[in-house]
Amino acid sequence: MILGPIGFTTPWLLLTLVALPILWIILRAVPPTPIRRRFPGVALLLGLKDEDSVTDRTPWWLLLLRTIAVAAVIAGLAGPVLNPRAEGEARATGPLLIVTDGSWASARDWREKIAVINGLLAEAGRAGRPVALMRLSDPEELEFQAAESWRSRLAGLVPAPWAVTPAMMERAADLLGEGSFETRWLSDGLAYDGREDLLVALEARGPVTVHESPRPVLALRPAAMTDGQIVLSAARATANGPRDIMVAAHGLDPAGVLRVLATLPLQFDATATEASGALSLPPELRARLTSFEIAGEETAGSVSLTDDGLKRREVALIAGREDREGLELLSPLHYLHQAFAPSADMLDGALMDVLPANPDVIVLADVATLSGAEEAALLDWVNGGGMLLRFAGPRVAASDVSRGEEAPLMPVRLRAGGRTVGGAMSWGEPKTLATFPEGSPFQGLVIPGDVTVSAQVMAQPDPTLAERVIAQLTDGTPLVTRKRIGAGQVVLFHVTANAEWSTLPLSGLFVQMLERLAVASSVTPPDATELAGSTWQPVEVLDGFGKLMDAGARPGVAGERLLAEALGPDLLPGLYEGPERRVARNVIARDDMLAPVAWPERIPVEGLERAAEMPLGGWLLAAAALLLTVDILAALALSGRLWPMRTAIGLLLAVLSLGTPDRVMAQDDTRAIAATAEVVLAHVITGNSALDDTAHSGLIGLGQVLSFRTSVEPAEPIAVDLETDELAFYPILYWPISPDQPTPSAEAYVRLNAYLRGGGLILFDTRDADVAGFGAASTNGARLQRLAAPLDIPPLEPVPEDHVLTRTFYLLSDFPGRYTGRPVWVESAPPDAERIEGMPFRNLNDGVTPVVIGGNDWAAAWAVNDRGDFLFPVGRGYTGERQRELAYRFGINLVMHVLTGNYKSDQVHVPALLERLGQ
Amino acid sequence: MIDWRRSARSDVQYVRQREWQIAQSVMIWADPAASMRFASDKNLPEKAERARLLAMAMAVLLLRGGERVGLTGSSLPPRRGQAQLARLALALMQDSEADYTSPDMGGLVPHGRALLISDFMGDLAGLRGALTAAADRGVQGILYQILDPAEEVFPYRGRTIFESVGGTLTHETLKANDLRARYLERLAERKVELGRLCAATGWRLGVHHTSENAQSALLWLYRAMDGGTMA
Repeated sequence: MILGPIGFTTPWLLLTLVALPILWIILRAVPPTPIRRRFPGVALLLGLKDEDSVTDRTPWWLLLLRTIAVAAVIAGLAGPVLNPRAEGEARATGPLLIVTDGSWASARDWREKIAVINGLLAEAGRAGRPVALMRLSDPEELEFQAAESWRSRLAGLVPAPWAVTPAMMERAADLLGEGSFETRWLSDGLAYDGREDLLVALEARGPVTVHESPRPVLALRPAAMTDGQIVLSAARATANGPRDIMVAAHGLDPAGVLRVLATLPLQFDATATEASGALSLPPELRARLTSFEIAGEETAGSVSLTDDGLKRREVALIAGREDREGLELLSPLHYLHQAFAPSADMLDGALMDVLPANPDVIVLADVATLSGAEEAALLDWVNGGGMLLRFAGPRVAASDVSRGEEAPLMPVRLRAGGRTVGGAMSWGEPKTLATFPEGSPFQGLVIPGDVTVSAQVMAQPDPTLAERVIAQLTDGTPLVTRKRIGAGQVVLFHVTANAEWSTLPLSGLFVQMLERLAVASSVTPPDATELAGSTWQPVEVLDGFGKLMDAGARPGVAGERLLAEALGPDLLPGLYEGPERRVARNVIARDDMLAPVAWPERIPVEGLERAAEMPLGGWLLAAAALLLTVDILAALALSGRLWPMRTAIGLLLAVLSLGTPDRVMAQDDTRAIAATAEVVLAHVITGNSALDDTAHSGLIGLGQVLSFRTSVEPAEPIAVDLETDELAFYPILYWPISPDQPTPSAEAYVRLNAYLRGGGLILFDTRDADVAGFGAASTNGARLQRLAAPLDIPPLEPVPEDHVLTRTFYLLSDFPGRYTGRPVWVESAPPDAERIEGMPFRNLNDGVTPVVIGGNDWAAAWAVNDRGDFLFPVGRGYTGERQRELAYRFGINLVMHVLTGNYKSDQVHVPALLERLGQ
Repeated sequence: MIDWRRSARSDVQYVRQREWQIAQSVMIWADPAASMRFASDKNLPEKAERARLLAMAMAVLLLRGGERVGLTGSSLPPRRGQAQLARLALALMQDSEADYTSPDMGGLVPHGRALLISDFMGDLAGLRGALTAAADRGVQGILYQILDPAEEVFPYRGRTIFESVGGTLTHETLKANDLRARYLERLAERKVELGRLCAATGWRLGVHHTSENAQSALLWLYRAMDGGTMA
């Protein structure tokens, strides 16, 4: 039964929906379960009767929820299916054969084809039909298996990069076996021989349905070079209206990365199955091209590989004997070198040595006569497709080559003498070039205004001259002439290759003309003699989707088969390397046509859009289960047995705020930000809480005094744990020594050393006023020695009178804390520090002393509590207060020294200092 | 008695009055019944706990004042001294299984004082008997009713089966909120009944809810025991 887009497999179950209103009434009538309560006032309730017997009802929304849940269960059990098959289709049974062409043309829309196969397999699985899958591009024995096993193997189904040959169709027909089955054929849209026979064989075994993509097949032909431009042409199977496609040229960029180097738009006319266009690229890019691809199509046929056909030319430069040595700019080959260098490989050597290397172009710069053997060899070479480029010069002008009759290697007859124009004893001015005529390989080149010709050799006006001229001057004098010989050509420039006779070699036009010429010589595809008897190794191969893969260890292919045989599993399209060159075998040859397949009318042909049948039963049952869960919660809530809101919310918050790791890091970050946002004085945690508190209060007191009297306004002091905290944030570290302190670990010492090296200062305070004095150290002193042993502390000395610490803010001579009079140790001055005349101090260490060691218990002298009272007594009476004041002054000096370094040692302060010192 | 010595000094007659200071006996009863062991909310103490707390607190104050404190019935007669506190504490911890109990006025000291703390939800006949017996002996006292706020407000609704704490009584209803008005009426009636009983016998009546402050309850009880109709 079909109801809109949903069909039901067991529709009679829906009749039970009629029972829903009855369910409603029953649920409404049945009162909820009573709650049992303990209540001492029951004695007062005895005897009270209910006024009305109408019960407390379940709320209507709960009833609705329950009704919907039951309805969902009933609907789910009735087996609803989304997008069911049409009424007319009989549900087929029996085995199912899915045939795919699996050729390169199938690779387009491959995902949709896989989706169709998936849908077919799902339906077959639900109906319990055995399924077999066959690829025509690689036919194998038919195995009818359960649909599920094919579904798991579906991911491995890929198209092959070759087309289906008649042999493959025959083999497939042979492998069909005897049983009867229904066939679904996913075809690629191209006509192959042998399709008809296979179709007949399949129809004999059962009904056949064909699925085909409506998009036409596109293929790209191999690129060809014509007149310096790359000609690309694409073909399509059916002409169904105008279409624009984009062809991308892929190649390596200078870093070796594969990129799109150029794009060419091609246009199909409404009724055309061919489209072609020309791409002109600078030769550097051309040499780097590797493949062309139609954008958007991912098939092997839309990719055409380039082989040596677009490669760098090999140019041989041969000049006559050089009379002048060392004058490079006058050499005829210099400009040719510069012109060919970016795009061609240069060969230098004698002519007979160069010819066997088979260059593409041979340049003879001012070479007049050639020996007989040389000439014969050159002629052979030109016949075979080489280009001979000759330049005139004094020797050519002075010789008699090609004067009487046309020399075989000269395009025209030359007139004796030459023509000098614009020189000291001539009539006119240097001539300029005329625009290049039609049919000339230079056609379209822009002539710059400064190209002039002042001397050249002249050509005899022969009847064949007009068709051989490819460049001329404004007065019609031929400048460049060309003659074809066999597959090659000879080109003569009537000027020199250097700048003596004309300014042409100096201009960019020269390079462009040479390029046009040099590339005009075609590199022919290998001929039969070259292919016979050789084995070609595949270097890179294409897969069905047009991706280039490394060929790995594939076997080589015999030369005869390489270009002639049809592609197959043993002959993949790709780049093959032979004895001398590389050749690309593409899917479509230059003159292959694509023909669309024409199915007979009795076969139904469908597209690839198949709305798959989707069973909804599972979803509905799941929804019903969810609703019932909600119903349970609602019923609990109604009777008050659900957790009260407060605990539920509390639980939720507790779960949500379960420490995520980010919180720990956030705390570290806030600590770091607090330590670095302001100046922070730090003290080392010693483990003795009284000591730590004193140090903390001491630094607070010092900070307050600093804020009052200086521009340094430190924030709250921070207690530093040497094992875990980062020390670099703190300019100064106050370290009170006690005998029971823990020794820092090795990592902590590493950090401390880094801190000292990075410019930090540690104030060691043994707090015992150096009781031991001379000789043995006190307990605190001994502890300090052990603690500071692994530290990188420089040699120390008692603070000299002109140390910068004595004058960084206040002028001090003693550094008292709670005790006074004991020496304080700092980094010792270099032994050669001397006092400059007129300065009241020596120029001591440039930087900040890394340690200050003393025993005067400074923190206790500085310590204040919240109310500002001093925590520890210092001395007695007025002297004591004076001593505390000096202790604060020492602290200020120390912090100033840490923050400003030896600023106060600058000469700038000397006058003020002298004034203060009373000198 | 005429005070001749003082009267002789002037024309007016003076009378000498002497006061006899003697320790008063106070007998306390905290209801041990099962109905007291009820708290409607876990934040509130049980009625029995509050009752015992008040009883002990009164005992401490009275013993400090030198009176004699004991329990009703013959198990713990009133005695002076700190040791009596420990005996009182032990005796107050006894629980009874019955749902509602009445005080045992067996060993009443004549002209003493009594303090009865209960919820008085059970049958009032026993209480009436006790009070009349006490009034015969000349014992005056305080009736202190402790109620749970839920018993005062009756916040129940829906289909409920009410059970007494001891499990002996049950009452089933289909719609509890319908019963509220009538229950509250009955509760008010009971309070009025208690008030009449006290007025007839010269006792005082106090009501306390477990959600209220125990200290203010103690203050009231102490004042009530001290002043009032005591001679």
